[in-house]
Amino acid sequence: MATESSESEEEGKIRGGNDKLNIDDDLREMGKNAAWSVSSCKPGNGVATLRDDNLETYWQSDGLQPHLINIQFQKKVKLQLVFVYVDFKLDESYTPSRISIRAGDGFHNLKEIKSVELVKPTGWVCLSLSGTDPRETFVNTFMLQIAILSNHLNGRDTHIRQIKVYGPRPNPIPRQPFQFTSAEFLTYSTLR
Amino acid sequence: MENLLLNSVEKNLSQFMFTNAIFLCQRLLAQFPSEVNLQLLARCYLSNSQAYSAYYILKGSKMPQSRYLFAFSCFKLDLLGEAETALLPSKEYIEEVPGGAAGHYLLGLIYRYAGRKNSSIQQFRMALSLDPLCWEAYGELCSLGAAEEASTVFSNVSSHCLQKTCVAQKVSFSEGAIIDQLTDSDKASKDARLWQTEDAPGESQQDLKIKQFGPDIPPDTYRQLNNSSHTNVWDLKTPSPVLSQVLDAPPPLLYKNMRRPAVEGLMSVHGESRRKYVSEEMSAEVAEESGRRRSARIAARKKIPISQSFGKDSQWLHLSPSESNYVPSLSSMIGKCKIQSSKEGIPDTVTLNDSATTSDQSISDRGSCVNDDEYSNPNGSSADRFSLVSGISEVLNLLKILGDGHRHLLMYNCQEALLVYQKLSQKQYNTHWVLMQVGKAYFELQDYFNADSVFTLVHQHCSLYRPASISMLLFCFSDFLSLVLKHLKEEMRLGYLAQELISVDRLSPETWCAVGNCYSLRKDHETALKMFQRAIQLNERFTYAHTLCGHEFAALEEFEYAERCYRRALSIDTRHYNAWYGLGMTYLHLEKYEFAQNQFQMALQINPRSSVIMCYSGIALHESKRNDEALKMMEKAIIADTKNPLPKYYKANILANLGDYHKAKKVLEELKDCAPQESSVHALLGKIYKQLKLYDKAVLHFGTALDLNPSPSDAAKIKAYMERLIVPDELETEENL
Repeated sequence: MATESSESEEEGKIRGGNDKLNIDDDLREMGKNAAWSVSSCKPGNGVATLRDDNLETYWQSDGLQPHLINIQFQKKVKLQLVFVYVDFKLDESYTPSRISIRAGDGFHNLKEIKSVELVKPTGWVCLSLSGTDPRETFVNTFMLQIAILSNHLNGRDTHIRQIKVYGPRPNPIPRQPFQFTSAEFLTYSTLR
Repeated sequence: MENLLLNSVEKNLSQFMFTNAIFLCQRLLAQFPSEVNLQLLARCYLSNSQAYSAYYILKGSKMPQSRYLFAFSCFKLDLLGEAETALLPSKEYIEEVPGGAAGHYLLGLIYRYAGRKNSSIQQFRMALSLDPLCWEAYGELCSLGAAEEASTVFSNVSSHCLQKTCVAQKVSFSEGAIIDQLTDSDKASKDARLWQTEDAPGESQQDLKIKQFGPDIPPDTYRQLNNSSHTNVWDLKTPSPVLSQVLDAPPPLLYKNMRRPAVEGLMSVHGESRRKYVSEEMSAEVAEESGRRRSARIAARKKIPISQSFGKDSQWLHLSPSESNYVPSLSSMIGKCKIQSSKEGIPDTVTLNDSATTSDQSISDRGSCVNDDEYSNPNGSSADRFSLVSGISEVLNLLKILGDGHRHLLMYNCQEALLVYQKLSQKQYNTHWVLMQVGKAYFELQDYFNADSVFTLVHQHCSLYRPASISMLLFCFSDFLSLVLKHLKEEMRLGYLAQELISVDRLSPETWCAVGNCYSLRKDHETALKMFQRAIQLNERFTYAHTLCGHEFAALEEFEYAERCYRRALSIDTRHYNAWYGLGMTYLHLEKYEFAQNQFQMALQINPRSSVIMCYSGIALHESKRNDEALKMMEKAIIADTKNPLPKYYKANILANLGDYHKAKKVLEELKDCAPQESSVHALLGKIYKQLKLYDKAVLHFGTALDLNPSPSDAAKIKAYMERLIVPDELETEENL
């Protein structure tokens, strides 16, 4: 999991950010299987910039707050982490400040599962979707919505440079209830 | 001037000074334009890897040799159609394919690349019949799955062929018309009579023979034998030869005859015996005998004259130590032979002979009998003939073993292959090629530790060989590693080996495959993919690279691309069962269970002993609701490989899904002891106990499962199960798998 450089005492405030993404091996990026859409955008800074692996390009919204990014999957997936790349030094008043993450089956029944406040973030910010309950490491959902409720310095529109969504790796052997852990089992589990 | 240039070009070619050779040859051609010179220039170009130049200059030539070279250049340039027409210009009348066995082999390759499997099989078989030492043709047949038993291929018939070839070779080397006469008489004497009568040639030959007195007098017994034969007749008797380990006369000539690179193993053996043979004279009789038994003949290193004998079968019959009903007289190679093993007494030779005859195949006996006259008039032919025959039988025997092993390996009868390879002599076994095959056999048996040790051996001893060997090592090794979870030390070793490979040979596709495997092991599938694609760029026809690409795409869940890659691999080589397996897995992921089952069936047809494939086939069957078949398949898998714990696990899973909890529980209890560290076993047991309402045990097993470090998603699942133990089933929501 990406480490945050500091955490404030208040619940939900995140300061700073990481330059690099450090992901565990047992997670994989899930965004490829999803349909991404945004509530509004300025021409030239559309939704594609959120997924182009280019930190120079950014999405710029062009409407009323809250600005929404919708991620819709074809089937229920388990998600664990959301990473957002934002940079206060470059974007200043466009940098998001309060972010709310909602999940549900569709637009009609989204429920907020996480709410954070960013304080001058610079880099990758990790938003963990697991609840306080240690048993609920994942969120099993059809749709995720990232809502930008407010920006730094009360900016109207927002810039986000990149978003990545992570979930657990599936069982490499399809239709099996559990994954194998021991060497004996793994040796025989696949051919190459 | 022409000769000077010719010699110079040949010398340059033999010393690898290709550019010089090209230059001189161009001068030669300009000055003395002729087809032969044109061929020489083409040879120079081809040696210098300039196939396009060879192509242009040879376009339109008609001579067989030119056509062969032209076809070869077309093949190199991937112009398969033109290559084919060059080799087979017209369909109405079948002309002789130029280049003999080599031509057929080339044609076979062309057909194979074009996907015309049956034609290619036909061509390879023809190549083998023309030249039994064309190992590559046999290898191709094996990989096409159409190889016959090695013993039939490298057998008597082949021995005949080889001897004929040698005869032909000898003819060209020998001096004098005698030889021609002899060879004519050769062909003439096809009757059952043991000895052929030669009249006029015989006499003149006698004179010659007298002159060539062999330096060595064979052991006394020969003299005894001699006594019983005519004095004025040159007899051929089967000597009791001593099996020599080093092949003498025959091999070098055979090599010269062939344009094919011999098997490395063979090379090492024959390498020493490359000597120029000047055949001073020959007597050639071939009375082909129907009965074939082998008489292991010495490569007697001395000039023993081959004398012709006339009549008197019976004498020779009981004179020859082995079952010779044969008269094999061949025009022999008379060379400057070392005197060797002739000193050995008959007893040895006899025993050796016996042991030789007990070997499976016998080669048609062409051992010539050594006459005492020979010894008194030692004209070297008979010894050389014997040496020829013994040489041939040695070579063919060796090839037989290797061929058998190779065929078994490619039919995935790995155990048999290993057994066969054990039959090789120590020297042969420790060669790079054989060890690689052995390693591959272990790998296919999923006996990764043994495979590892063999490959390491190869690496240590044969690292001077083509880096492809090391890459093969790495390759299999890394596959093995990628299946066994991270053992840190091994990862480093793998990385180190990969670096070594890159530094040694960047242009070999296996190198990049190995590097790709390293990345794949670290789950960096995108980079691994790039590496495999590089390997493909280096060699489009490297089937395994395509399959590995497919595996990587599958790991990245891009199943369409994966399917494409697998299908491309299959178009190159239909018998690449890994690709069938990959396709099956892809369909399993895509939940197209019927398709998956078909693919696994195809894979099983090729490699019927793979328990892993059987397991997956069983899973596919279970998902297609063909549960009986699924269970049967699992049973098969359990039997096929007792070391594989997975079929039992899958079987238990299927039984649990079918509701047969007690049986499932029993299977899992056994399994628990085999693999105590496996958390999934305990987790499944927990589930089953829960169904059986034995909640205490369920909790126990879930707890153990959690302790054994399952993956996070599994851990969550197990915890969830534990929580809901008390809740009855109906209220539970079934979790997605």
